[in-house]
Order: sequence, then C-alpha cells, then structure tokens
Amino acid sequence: MRTRQTIAVIGATGSMGTAIAKSLSKGNYRLLLFTSDKSKLKDLQKEIIATTPGADVEPISCSYTASWEADVIIVAVPFAMEKEVADKIREVANQKIVISIANPLNETYDALVTAPDTSAAEELQKLLPNSKVVKAFNTTFAADFAQPVIDGKRVDAFIAGNDNDALETVSEIVQAAGFNPVIAGDLSVSRILENMQLLLIRLGIKYNYNWLAGWKILHQ
Amino acid sequence: MYELFFEKLAEKIALTPGQQDIIKRYLIPKKIRKNQYLLQEGDVARHAAFVEKGALRAYSVDEKGAEHIIQFAFEGWTISDMYSFMTGNPATYNIDALEDSELVLISTNAQEEILKQIPEYEAYIRLQVTGAYMAMQKRITSMLSLSLEERYINLIKLYPNLIQRVPQRMIASYMGLTPETLSRVRRKIKNK
Ligand SMILES: NC(=O)c1ccc[n+]([C@@H]2O[C@H](COP(=O)([O-])OP(=O)(O)OC[C@H]3O[C@@H](n4cnc5c(N)ncnc54)[C@H](OP(=O)(O)O)[C@@H]3O)[C@@H](O)[C@H]2O)c1
Repeated sequence: MRTRQTIAVIGATGSMGTAIAKSLSKGNYRLLLFTSDKSKLKDLQKEIIATTPGADVEPISCSYTASWEADVIIVAVPFAMEKEVADKIREVANQKIVISIANPLNETYDALVTAPDTSAAEELQKLLPNSKVVKAFNTTFAADFAQPVIDGKRVDAFIAGNDNDALETVSEIVQAAGFNPVIAGDLSVSRILENMQLLLIRLGIKYNYNWLAGWKILHQ
Repeated sequence: MYELFFEKLAEKIALTPGQQDIIKRYLIPKKIRKNQYLLQEGDVARHAAFVEKGALRAYSVDEKGAEHIIQFAFEGWTISDMYSFMTGNPATYNIDALEDSELVLISTNAQEEILKQIPEYEAYIRLQVTGAYMAMQKRITSMLSLSLEERYINLIKLYPNLIQRVPQRMIASYMGLTPETLSRVRRKIKNK
C-alpha cells in the first residue's frame, strides 16, 4: 500500500510497545504513541528519530484522540488493563483494526488466566464488538523485533482474525516489522497461539533462551 | 461525531433511531491532519469519505507532474475515487486534506451490510450517485461551453467558502487555468 497508514500504539513505553514502535517506524507508517507518562514518550520519540531520521512518530496524550486518528490500533498493555483501554477507545475504534498482542499469563508464568473456551483476543473482541480484532505479535518476544532472524531463519509470526481485509493489512504490518507472517485462522485460533507462547515462555525459562526465541515452521 | 452525516441522511430518507444505530455500527470515525493523504494513486479506494469537518481535495497528476484538481469536499460532501471504490481497481486520484478534518468513512463491505439490513439506504445511495453524476455533467458542460467568467461565478456558487479556504493556485488548477489567467478573470468580474 502506498497510502501511509496511521497506527496508534497504546502502551508505547512498555517492552512490546517500544519494540513495535521502533520497528514499524522504519516502514511507511505514521505512529501515534500513547501512555500516561509523557516524559517517557518524548524520550522514546527522540530515540526513534535518532535511529530513523525520517520516522513519522508523535507522542499523543490521549488514547481516544490517538485511536480516532488511527487506521490501526495496537493494544500493548497488560491483559488485565485491556478493559480499561477498551472502554476509553470503543467509540473511535468502530470498524477499525485492533491488534491484540496479549498473552494472558498468570503471575508465575506457568498457565493462562483465561478459560479454555476463550482467549485474550476473543475477550477483547467482546469488549469492542464493532472493531476488527486481529491477533498478532503475541508469538514474538520484544527482543525478537531487534533481531527477527534467529539462527539464520526469519521468525514466523502468526496472525488470526475473522476479517480478510484486516488480516491482509496486519500481514503487511508484520512483514514490515521483519517477521514472516503466517495467517493461522479465525479469531478463535488465538487460543492456540496464546498457548503456544505459554509453552515458549516455559521452555525459555527452563532452558534459558534469554527471551530471544521464536517459532519457525519447517515444511517442504 | 456523526451529527452532520445523519443530518444529511435525514434530508434524503427517513430513518428510525434503531435504523440509525444499525448504520452507526458500520461507520469509521477518522481524523486526518492537513496535508495527509487519505488515498494515493495506485492503491484501491476502500472507502468513501463523508466530511463532518474540514476540507479535502481529489487530484490527478499528469506525465509532466502537474496536478489537476478534480473535486473539493467541504462539510457535508462525500469524496472518494468512485471508479476505484466501485470496481476495486487501483485509484487514479490522490485525495489529501487541505485542513485538519474529521471524516466518516464507509467501506464497500459496510455499505453492502447496511443495504442488506436497511433497504431504504438504497434510495440514499441512488440520490447521492445521481447528484454526483449531475455535478459531473455540469462540470463538463461548463468546461466546454461557458466563458471563464461564467465558470468562475458558478464555481463560487457551488463552493461559497472556496476563496477563504483554498489557495488561488488550487482554484486555478480546478478550472484548468494558470494562476495568472485566473487573476485576470477575477479582475474582469470585479470591474464589471
Ligand atoms: N514482553 C514480551 O516479550 C511480550 C511478547 C508477546 C506479547 N506480549 C504481551 O504484550 C503486552 C504488553 O507486555 P509488555 O511486556 O510490553 O508489558 P510492559 O512492559 O509492562 O508494558 C505495559 C505498557 O502498558 C502501559 N499501560 C499499563 N496500564 C495502562 C492503561 N490502563 N492504559 C494505557 N496504558 C497502560 C504501561 O505504561 P506505564 O509504564 O505508563 O504504566 C506500559 O507502557 C502484554 O499483554 C503481554 O502479554 C509481551
């Protein structure tokens, strides 16, 4: 797509928000960065522009305004905070693509807090019934964004959602971030994707992958 | 956020509050800043944009790189690359904002959904397309057969705030004139 898309990152100063913002600022995107801490946002903007001089990034002090201006909204806050964010942006997220990156982990990182018949993405869809929720970036660690090729292989990044145009748009975003996009299925497939990351986290802790790890499907 | 949109809709068709709520479900509220693109040539126009607040223009670029303005859109107008929106082929127009603007976007899919649920909406679209067709016919006839002074006067009638909101060179581009010719036309009208 030639027309520059505007992406709002809610929770931009977190590990994932920062990694996503830095990475996408190199592509043909305009980024609106939001968290409550304005000075942290300014620092992030400065840091991004220092490494990517032409980057189109702007800190914004209101999640409602950021989402109103956005074509795509990335919710990069902890799962427990998603309801609060959804309540604020619902009206202006109408019919827009909202990316759910959450892994709803418990405090000890060894299980998910969601029931087996749902997922963080489906819960966000319930909170934003008129938005096009797409699961993406939950199977990639924040550190992977700086190094999307691990052990010589481009990391796969799985995407799930119910709207074909939205899946296509998100695939382009995932590709711009340097990963290999793999559309896995409809939004309910998020249950599998969130469990996959639970496994990777548990293995990462057990075998000390140092948070730089990812999925790659080997096939003919 | 959708006030003017529903006001304009009510001028053409009567809707119950329930029907308005159904339509609202399919609308995209979108803010865009001055100089930003809504659409660039080569992409498919996935939306028609209704202007709640602000101003946009559609233009094409010729082989020499010169811009030709096709349409302006102020409050209450709808703008898109209709050919691309209807056929799904790449757009030949660029659409950008002349002021910070607030838009209501409707996608082709959303339009289909609304039509399925609210048959009255068909009449609105028919009136809109007819209106756009008549405007186009007027623009062509005036290009072919009216004097420059007449064309300028008609243009100001069509867009009463045009002079206050749009630079001279864009008005000249819309009329297919050089800015110098346009100022001559304006002087002539003043001196009458
Ligand atoms: N870390 C990873 O490698 C990774 C990988 C895949 C998916 N994820 C998922 O990504 C999400 C974010 O994780 P993270 O590791 O980036 O967390 P994090 O570092 O703790 O960052 C959370 C961000 O959310 C902001 N925030 C918190 N509450 C908020 C609210 N009510 N409204 C707006 N912003 C709020 C925080 O801002 P303040 O600092 O101002 O509070 C911070 O910027 C989680 O759902 C996680 O499961 C993480």
